[in-house]
Amino acid sequence: MRRVMALVLAGGGSEALSVLTAERAVSAVPFGGKYRVIDFALSNCCHSEVERVAVFTQHHPTSLHDHIGSGRPWDLDRRSGGVLLLQPYLARHHTGWYRGTADAIAQNWDVIEEQGPERVLVMSGDHVYRMDYRQLLLTHTRGRGPVTLSMARVAPDQSRRFGMLSVDGSGRVLTLDEKPATTDATLASMGLYVFETGVLAQALRAGPVDLVHDVLRPMLEAGERVQTHEFTDYWEDVGAVGPYYRANHELLQHTPRLVLHDPRWPVLTRDEERPPVVVGDGAVIDQSLVANGCRVSGTVMRSVLFPGVTVEPGAEVRDSIVMQDVRVESQARVDHAIIDKHARVTRGARVGDGPVPRGAEHAWLEGLTLVGKDAVIPEGARVGRAAVVGIGASPDEVGEQVEPGAVIASRAWYEDVV
Amino acid sequence: MQRYAFILAGGAGTRLCLLSEKRAKPAVPFAGKYRIIDFTLSNCVNSGIYDIGVLTQYRPTSLNQHIGTGRPWDLDRSHGGVQVLQPSLGSNESEWYRGTADAIHQNLIHLRRRRMDAVLVLSGDHVYKMDYNVLYAFHAANGASATVAVTEVPEDAVSSFGILETDSGGRVVGFEEKPQRSRSRLASMGVYLFDRDSLIRWLVEDAARDDSSHDFGKDLIPRLVARGEPLYAYRFPAYWQDVGTLDSYYDANLAFTSPTPPLDLADPDWVIHTTSADRPPVRFERGGRSSHSLIANGCCIAGTVERSVLFPGVNVSPGAVVRDSIVMNDSYVGRDAVLDHAVVDKQVLVGAGARLGHGDRGVPNRACPEHLSSGLLVVGKGARLPEGITIGRNARIGAGVGGADFTTDVPDGGVVDGRQTMH
Repeated sequence: MRRVMALVLAGGGSEALSVLTAERAVSAVPFGGKYRVIDFALSNCCHSEVERVAVFTQHHPTSLHDHIGSGRPWDLDRRSGGVLLLQPYLARHHTGWYRGTADAIAQNWDVIEEQGPERVLVMSGDHVYRMDYRQLLLTHTRGRGPVTLSMARVAPDQSRRFGMLSVDGSGRVLTLDEKPATTDATLASMGLYVFETGVLAQALRAGPVDLVHDVLRPMLEAGERVQTHEFTDYWEDVGAVGPYYRANHELLQHTPRLVLHDPRWPVLTRDEERPPVVVGDGAVIDQSLVANGCRVSGTVMRSVLFPGVTVEPGAEVRDSIVMQDVRVESQARVDHAIIDKHARVTRGARVGDGPVPRGAEHAWLEGLTLVGKDAVIPEGARVGRAAVVGIGASPDEVGEQVEPGAVIASRAWYEDVV
Repeated sequence: MQRYAFILAGGAGTRLCLLSEKRAKPAVPFAGKYRIIDFTLSNCVNSGIYDIGVLTQYRPTSLNQHIGTGRPWDLDRSHGGVQVLQPSLGSNESEWYRGTADAIHQNLIHLRRRRMDAVLVLSGDHVYKMDYNVLYAFHAANGASATVAVTEVPEDAVSSFGILETDSGGRVVGFEEKPQRSRSRLASMGVYLFDRDSLIRWLVEDAARDDSSHDFGKDLIPRLVARGEPLYAYRFPAYWQDVGTLDSYYDANLAFTSPTPPLDLADPDWVIHTTSADRPPVRFERGGRSSHSLIANGCCIAGTVERSVLFPGVNVSPGAVVRDSIVMNDSYVGRDAVLDHAVVDKQVLVGAGARLGHGDRGVPNRACPEHLSSGLLVVGKGARLPEGITIGRNARIGAGVGGADFTTDVPDGGVVDGRQTMH
């Protein structure tokens, strides 16, 4: 697959993920107990023998850059090809920041062309799915069109999150309706495209900003043949709290639709060296994923625990996602919450307590409570459902009670120092 | 400061029974995801020693695969790094390593261009966390020709170790290899720091002697002590474990299931590195139960696990019980099977309803009563145990045996060794 280059768009920091993406890109959000979201796209590239990969970063790229590094976990540390991290840069003739997906690609087109691909595979780093891109490339070859886009069926209430497609009997795109409130269409564009390199190069000369608006739509309007490839396996865009939570929970199903350890298609990641899980006396762990480095002596139900989480005796974690090195102290309770790295739920505190608040302004949280990185929930405190505790919030800032739906602001890590 | 360490990793570990039948003792899996040599290799890199030769001889394949280019320990380097040193042909002295001292003697060439003052000689057989910088400082402060790290062992254990006697200044004044009884309880840990030039001189001299078995503990160290060379004993104050026998191996593993394990494996300042396969987090299924255990990534627990150590990829089916046992990578425990005091090697298939470790612990193993008499039973790599079979205590089931090798249940102390050898 020397003639194919993947362009992974990983620069976005979805507002919809609130504190989880305040200091990292969506693609860098921890997922599934030890992975990051972008691992799925990179593992797909690795297993599909796509050996040239460019990753576009912009929003808080540090954690993504640390994670990808030389690309070794995905065998992308290569002398020729391999992974390139493409950050916005300054030059005499442009302003630097990526204004959109097409602009990001255009600004780096010289680097891409240098690799000499015949086709480019444009994808998002924000999606979880296992896909053999060779199937898509085969569909593209057979269709002989300038561009082929991959699509997946979604539930009708999800249409407002996606570009919805109607296609004819041959799989050719008739209409592309971007994020419609209502539609009859059930096929969503996966933001995954194969372009003939020359076609994309031509389109980029017009100075497009957005790939869908300024490249695909004009092609459709000009009557160009845009083919589709239907992907029928599990696929999810995790750029919002509900979908992110549900995609993690999918892994807890008895027969999950998203399999992490298929020996023929393992999801690869940069592993941390941690000891095996220590299960203490009196631990109860049910329907959960618990990663190496965790120490569990309390109760864990229907939850995902990342490396190094401690659940002390008498503590309970239910229906939650708990990230690296979080401490849930004795008699504390965590229910329907997403707790980011290094946070601490002190003795007897409750996170996700009481009723789910009503009101449209809370709907985006779907009843889940978010606790930002490094936040400390003080002893015995109550944090209500659908509340958001900011990154680094101190015990004083959190106080004894955080009302359902309330928001505690984030604070900078150096505030204690200055 | 340029530093170099030899790690002796050629040991056969005979007393570990089946576990070291097809792998060297340093390659034996330990504590849910490591191999024994990981502790020594990690001690080296955590002490800042990035130039290492690993001497192998007995069944080196799994050790070679494990070490590879040395990447998990950051030992894949342009300068230094790790090199596996197998016996080779080509020089006058070359042959199989006759003893530990001979193994280093045959590899003295590696010291030719390494111009350091002192050379570290380590064993790959032990579990401990040690900062070798402390040993270097002790060695330099005493002006020693050689420093031997020692640890205090119980009185009844002296017969398993090289026992040193020291004067009040820490200088070694006596050495006995595996004495029946001894006034001293200071055991050599197999950790030596030698003055480089002295080591070369001594090894060349030892190699020429016909009355030597060319072993550090049996020959070289006693001779140096008798001769009055300035040897010093460094007393190591922390946990050190020689997992030489099946019983000590079992106890040492199980100790890591405790809330207060003998070593903190999660210490971010002293990480024990290993070659980890990419495995998903542990999956605890509905209805599974587990307590007081060490369970590694890639396991799937739908049954009950108590006081056990499970390596990556072990599957415990619904209704199955794993109790007081060690189960290695990718073994599969079928529905309603029971494992009690079992040590199960990699890729073993335990058929549904099988009962392992059922019976009287008083009957020692028929083939190796000296190693297998405390009630543990051992199952070798890749064995397939039929559904519903009962296997007694102190039993030994050979690697790779399958359905046709089992005509009946296996009694206490029984042995199944593969095709047509049913004892």
